[in-house]
Amino acid sequence: MAGLRRRTLLTAAAASPVVLRHALGETPIKIGMPVALTGPAGEIGTQMRHGAEFWAKETNAAGGILGRPIELIVQDTTGDPATCVRKAQDVVERDGCKLLFGMTLSSEALAVVPKLAEWNAIFMSSDNGDGRLTGSSFVPNFFRANISGPMETRVISLWLREGKLGKFFALGMDYAWGHNSIGVFQDEVKRAGKTFVGDVYSPIGTKDFSTYITKIRQSGAEGCFLVLQGDDNAAFLSQARDYRLQDKVQLITSIVDLNSIHAVGDAAIGLAGSTRYVATIDNPKNNAFVAAWQREYNALPDVFEGEQYQACKMLQAGIEEAKSIDADKLRPALETAKIDSIKGPVAMRACDHQAVQGGYIVKVVKKDGAKFPVPEIVTTFPGDQVTPACRQMTFDS
Amino acid sequence: MDFLAFLVTQCLNALSQAALLFFLGCGLTLIFGIMRIVNFAHGAFFMLGAYVGWSAVYVTGSFWGALIAAPILVGGFGAAFEMGILRRLYGRDGHSFLMVTFGLTLMMGEAIRLLWGVAALQVEMPKSLSGIVFILDEPFPIYRLFLAGAGIVTALVIWQFLERTRLGLLIRATSQNAEMVHALGTDVRLVRSAVFGIGCGLAGIGGVFAAPMVTASLGMAPNAVIDTFVIVIIGGMGSFLGSMIGALLVAFVQVFGSYYFPDFALAFMYLIMLTILVVRPGGLLGKEA
Amino acid sequence: MRMTLAVAVLLALLPLGLPPYAMTLLTEALIMALFAMSLDLMVGYARLISFGHAAAYGLGAYTCGNILLHTDIPLPFAVLIAGVFSGIVAIGVAWVCTLATGVSFSMLTLAFAQLLYAVAFKWTSVTGASDGLAGIPRTKGPFGTAFFGTKMGFYYLTMACLFGSFLFARAVVRSPFGAVLRGIRENEAKTLSLGYNTRLYKIAVVAMSYMLGGLAGALYAPFAGFANTELLFWLLSGQVLIMVIVGGTGTLVGPILGAVFFLLVQQQLSTYTDSWALVFGAIFILFVLFAPEGILGLARRRRAH
Repeated sequence: MAGLRRRTLLTAAAASPVVLRHALGETPIKIGMPVALTGPAGEIGTQMRHGAEFWAKETNAAGGILGRPIELIVQDTTGDPATCVRKAQDVVERDGCKLLFGMTLSSEALAVVPKLAEWNAIFMSSDNGDGRLTGSSFVPNFFRANISGPMETRVISLWLREGKLGKFFALGMDYAWGHNSIGVFQDEVKRAGKTFVGDVYSPIGTKDFSTYITKIRQSGAEGCFLVLQGDDNAAFLSQARDYRLQDKVQLITSIVDLNSIHAVGDAAIGLAGSTRYVATIDNPKNNAFVAAWQREYNALPDVFEGEQYQACKMLQAGIEEAKSIDADKLRPALETAKIDSIKGPVAMRACDHQAVQGGYIVKVVKKDGAKFPVPEIVTTFPGDQVTPACRQMTFDS
Repeated sequence: MDFLAFLVTQCLNALSQAALLFFLGCGLTLIFGIMRIVNFAHGAFFMLGAYVGWSAVYVTGSFWGALIAAPILVGGFGAAFEMGILRRLYGRDGHSFLMVTFGLTLMMGEAIRLLWGVAALQVEMPKSLSGIVFILDEPFPIYRLFLAGAGIVTALVIWQFLERTRLGLLIRATSQNAEMVHALGTDVRLVRSAVFGIGCGLAGIGGVFAAPMVTASLGMAPNAVIDTFVIVIIGGMGSFLGSMIGALLVAFVQVFGSYYFPDFALAFMYLIMLTILVVRPGGLLGKEA
Repeated sequence: MRMTLAVAVLLALLPLGLPPYAMTLLTEALIMALFAMSLDLMVGYARLISFGHAAAYGLGAYTCGNILLHTDIPLPFAVLIAGVFSGIVAIGVAWVCTLATGVSFSMLTLAFAQLLYAVAFKWTSVTGASDGLAGIPRTKGPFGTAFFGTKMGFYYLTMACLFGSFLFARAVVRSPFGAVLRGIRENEAKTLSLGYNTRLYKIAVVAMSYMLGGLAGALYAPFAGFANTELLFWLLSGQVLIMVIVGGTGTLVGPILGAVFFLLVQQQLSTYTDSWALVFGAIFILFVLFAPEGILGLARRRRAH
């Protein structure tokens, strides 16, 4: 807990953290980053900012990209799509950014992407989950470096195929990501020949989940798929523990993140689910990354910090290949970008700008000596099994 | 789960929810009844209570300590704000209070973010309350029973306070005729400060009670504000009994409504508010028409 | 009239000198100004305090958004149609809300707005639910309406709507109708006893207020290219009410200034610091303490010295 508080104090201390200046003399590469720093998605946006700032600092120390320093222009969107559009417009028009990171919520991203062509700006997503961004709402200037909602749902369904659980219920937040992911899950369950017994959606900001917990119990399900995030997720996990729900039903969540675990403590033990990034991924690049991160922030990197770092590296690879940040030159370079990421080899796909990558299943366990329970990797699945076909949100097999 | 067990457990759920809503609504209605102030910042005081409660648990290791410390600190802060700023605005029209409490909400929200950070904080409930009981073979958290009980006890305490004590009498009198109370020699200003402090303190203790169930988080304030308004409007602005009825009504509708009609959960609440207002513009037990 | 003309000319010339980023900001400020001014019509002149004015804005935005997305009606007409539609819907809303007075009236307006929000949140086919409507085009049409789709053209469209609405509102408040409104504001019982059907007047002013508010929302949808449920949320209703109060109620011009002030300060503050809410909140409190009549009141006091 102290680590988290210190981290946030560091952020506050960097008072006007609008711009990261650098000592190199060349014209900087400006990257606009409208993220939710306050509001219900504030924790996620703050993680994204840390990931980007870490990358910028590390890269600038090594000479920047193409010899130019990176300049991040971070703005708070409060998680509101209208504000996000306004802030994105600001960084493009006022600050002259041609590159964009951020946009914490999928709804924010969906609002902004129709304008990318007009601005001639490229947006590299690091956390947007909605399947439509590489599907029906696809625009050429959008790139997704992260695991999408359909992909993480797919990882879970592949894992469940191998398991013993046969009947499933689902609870999701009542908005795009919730409906999208549960739709994919339902499809997958049927394809695996198992039973989907029902679903229910809770309004965003639900504080009392007793009714939903009752529904889950009554459904007779052996496993319950959860698509919740932020405060709602924390509240649900707390209350599920109060009702001893896990005694009867295995809880499977679409994102397991350190933030939720810290918020609910032991109530998270036994939780299984997909994750987009976890610090315990064991490969030399990630181990080095985690060590450096710990030196900088005195804490382990969380899901969105890792994903943001990967997205930054992806963009960097594209710029270095194209030797330019001009959208028309950068786009084709990004379409074929391949990096050796902290998550292993990741390759961008030209047809829908989705980065093909593997997925992880983790289980939250109690570890002796650790203050909080930790997510342990249980199994992984390779990218080609996990990524849907081009512009699709569902799978064929 | 058989139907009786379902009914009983859901009613208990509703009661525990009603208790939380009551802490919020009671404070707001008291403040409105005496001062005609619509306290926009009420949700922020609720949230502050949760965070102060977290800190109190962090420092003392005791949840009970937090239950005592938080309402005193939050109520004290409220009273101080009233004395420092609100007091100057009594001659003016209602606009001023709206603006000032709106400004206060903004400031408190950001101050809490700066002091405690943006991540949700866990407040441990005491071991004695963290178990379950079996009600008709269904597990039910002891903490929720405790909450329902605390709500009932608080309601009784406040009722007796208003009816039997001198300050309670002054409060009731001031809400009906402030000038007369003043003419009779009481410093009405002190009554107002006390009421604002008590109202905020109630919101604060509501926050502490809520925290172990929902975690202390920055999203608490906006949600709490609209919920509180709905209760108080339904029950009648200024009516203590009305806030109880409003809290029970809203909680039962939420629990059973979201079970049977989850799609309409949100709309249901406002439809009820609208209907009641059309039939009785002052709310069920309100004084204004 | 001369003052109005001078301001109109100034605003018309601004696009020639300002950078595109400032133009965008100014356009949005003018849209907000129209929104705030529309609220002043009922708040300042009839003391009908609405806590649900976001309903007008959201209605206008969604209506215009749907028209632009699903029909070929050109931009300026879509905007006007959406405004008028909001006004018509408001007649029904006003009819119910005016059953009560005072605080109860305000609460009813809030209830309606929240109901609309809850419905919009679920009605995916019309509102896109929580995602909202994205990619709203600035549909071109004949008679040179393509011009209004450009950045500068859109600015002039907004300006025209603001000025047209201002002149309309001013004419209303200066007319005999306006005199009755003032009578209702000062002493409704007396006005009633003079034989006026005060409820009809109230319904009329609320409808007008919502119509102009809806016009503002209708401008917002193609401006941002986007409309979502947040446009109906009570926070926006609170913010626009604050703009009216900060600017100075019952003046029409005051709220325009209040909106511009609010938006610019919020924009600039949030650019410089994450803790803009702290400063913003403090500004409001200071305003109440030291400038109770709003910006316009301050300006008048200055002039008087």
